[in-house]
Amino acid sequence: MLSALAIPAVLTALVAGIAGAWSPCGFSMLETIGTGLGDARRGVTAAACATFAAGAVLGGALTFGGLAFVGSLIPRHGTGVRDALGVALVLGAAVADWRGLQIAPQIRRQVPERWRWTMPLSLASGLFGLLLGLGFTTFVLAFAVWALAGLSFIAGSTGLGLLIGLAFGLGRALPVILIAPRLRGRRGMRALEGMAREPRLWLGLRRLDAIGLAFCALLLTSAGARGAQVAAGSDPSARGGALAWQTIGGPAMLRDAAGRLSALPGTYPALGRSSVAWFSGGQVIVAHLGSMAVKASIAAGPISALAISDSWIAYRAPAPGGGEQLVGVPLGSPARPRPVASSPLAGSLGRPSLIGSTVVFARDTPRRAAIVAVNLATGARHVLRSARGGVALLNPALTAQRLMYERITRCSQELRVGPARAPRRDRTILRAASAVFRDSGVERGYVRAYNEASLCRHRKGGPGAPVWLGATALGAGTAYVTEVPVAAAANARILALAATRRR
Amino acid sequence: MREQEHLSDAVLRRSSRRGFLERAGAALIALAGARTVARMALPDDADAYTNFCGHTFTTGNCPHPTGLPRVDQHGYPLRARDGHPVDDLGRPIDARGYPVDPSGQVLREPDGEPLAPAPRSKVCHATGLRYGHRLKIDGSWYRCCGGQVRRLMDCCGYTDVRVNGDAALAGYCYPGRHVFCVQYYDTRIPC
Repeated sequence: MLSALAIPAVLTALVAGIAGAWSPCGFSMLETIGTGLGDARRGVTAAACATFAAGAVLGGALTFGGLAFVGSLIPRHGTGVRDALGVALVLGAAVADWRGLQIAPQIRRQVPERWRWTMPLSLASGLFGLLLGLGFTTFVLAFAVWALAGLSFIAGSTGLGLLIGLAFGLGRALPVILIAPRLRGRRGMRALEGMAREPRLWLGLRRLDAIGLAFCALLLTSAGARGAQVAAGSDPSARGGALAWQTIGGPAMLRDAAGRLSALPGTYPALGRSSVAWFSGGQVIVAHLGSMAVKASIAAGPISALAISDSWIAYRAPAPGGGEQLVGVPLGSPARPRPVASSPLAGSLGRPSLIGSTVVFARDTPRRAAIVAVNLATGARHVLRSARGGVALLNPALTAQRLMYERITRCSQELRVGPARAPRRDRTILRAASAVFRDSGVERGYVRAYNEASLCRHRKGGPGAPVWLGATALGAGTAYVTEVPVAAAANARILALAATRRR
Repeated sequence: MREQEHLSDAVLRRSSRRGFLERAGAALIALAGARTVARMALPDDADAYTNFCGHTFTTGNCPHPTGLPRVDQHGYPLRARDGHPVDDLGRPIDARGYPVDPSGQVLREPDGEPLAPAPRSKVCHATGLRYGHRLKIDGSWYRCCGGQVRRLMDCCGYTDVRVNGDAALAGYCYPGRHVFCVQYYDTRIPC
């Protein structure tokens, strides 16, 4: 799911593409495609328009999608710096476009004119479109183009980059599609002359770009603020734009989609699509998310984790014979709880996450690590991720589309997101060094020799990261993860970050 | 030192280490006084060790959760500096596998739940899984390190390549097998 940033970014890209029509190449394209073969060959003009549009859209997707892809490959650790750079770039471009400043740096190149004479018009138009869609092979007509390129790279979301590129390419193609076929007529010529005579149209488009960029900056800023964290909190639960969490040493809290904050009268808060649940006095209380009217009270005894969907709750509780168990309870018949899993080792079963009737949880033992999904209605069980050694798989969170979980090794802690049933498509959206002390791999006083295999790529010896990754939640485009300081777990905080980008 | 090691490696690739040591030892003792040459082929003092005390030649450490490849008598990982058991993530653990803090208390989540235990694998076996070989400890050699006897354990398999990425040595492995990586176990025997 793409963030709200996509809307202004895409509109800005579309307008920036249209503004490109005021470039030397833009005018040349109108004339070349519109008048090259005269009235008798309208079909050829239509074909050339089509290939030009296809080329432009492809070019835009290549440039902006490519930049976003490259950005997604670069691990980012200083998230605040990245967001600040993005805001500064976008705001700077907005001011410059609003004031109509001369474009700099400018690319003083044009598409190769000889193609017009040496190739069929439709082929040449397709290649012209590709070059213009690429954005930076010819004159740039708005600072927004530079800003959108930076935004694509910084956001590191290939989906967002592709959308920006498609919109930009479409913007470059629109004037050609609309004007070129009419160029032999009065209206078409008048439009072309109007464009050539009236730079205010171009400047007006740049002002529209400036407004769009300002919205982008605003959303980037709010995203940064959202990513700031919930201080002294843990055990997040998210659904849509709402978030619930447990304040350390305080009440459970709920922030609804409108941003309103309220305290819940219990602990272990959990969010479903239309319900919120918490634990209080030996009972799981289920309430309507909007009105907070209590819908059900379910006796549960002491619990240590809770999840809810519209039809089920799942909780972790002490097992009768020792250890812990996961229990699913249908909201329709709460008197019939169903054991899901048990373990003699407390902590071995992770927090449950529920979507519909599917509960997902981590099961880590000294022998094996796994993330397991169980259909509470049918009992069907699937291992979504597993590892035999060297890896811990922790804190899964499930939505209808995606699974998020933590993969911890001797070297690193990673927060990964991917389709639940397609492990190979997992993406790492947060990486930190492992939180353990590592020696150098060489005893003091001895010579190092060919010892790379025992080292870690992303970290050196000595103390590791000051935090370990804890409980997670996955909302609408936002991933929440608890950062627990190694030295003081009570100072845990919840970090929010875009679920699509890599840090 | 590096050239001496490479020379030694080259010789060892063509013979088992036991056989080599016997033959080369006898020949070198016969050449009494050629102490420098003896050091080249029989690197038996601290100057000849690489990476850690007792390890001769250049085969790399088996990947270990905390770096230096110290293990217990069964091959499970220990933290090198104090011999504390660690899991595959490098976290010090108690007897049940729970990660613990420096004072031995079980580490807990902010809500009081114990941190989940993680897998704990034999270092040699886990290395084999990681690199796609079936590895096991075939043989060992013992040396005096830090006032106690240290067992240098060769993690062996049917492979011609070692963890370094180049040609593997015969070491103390059974015939036809080669050393993929090395680890050690500190006994409690003083020396």
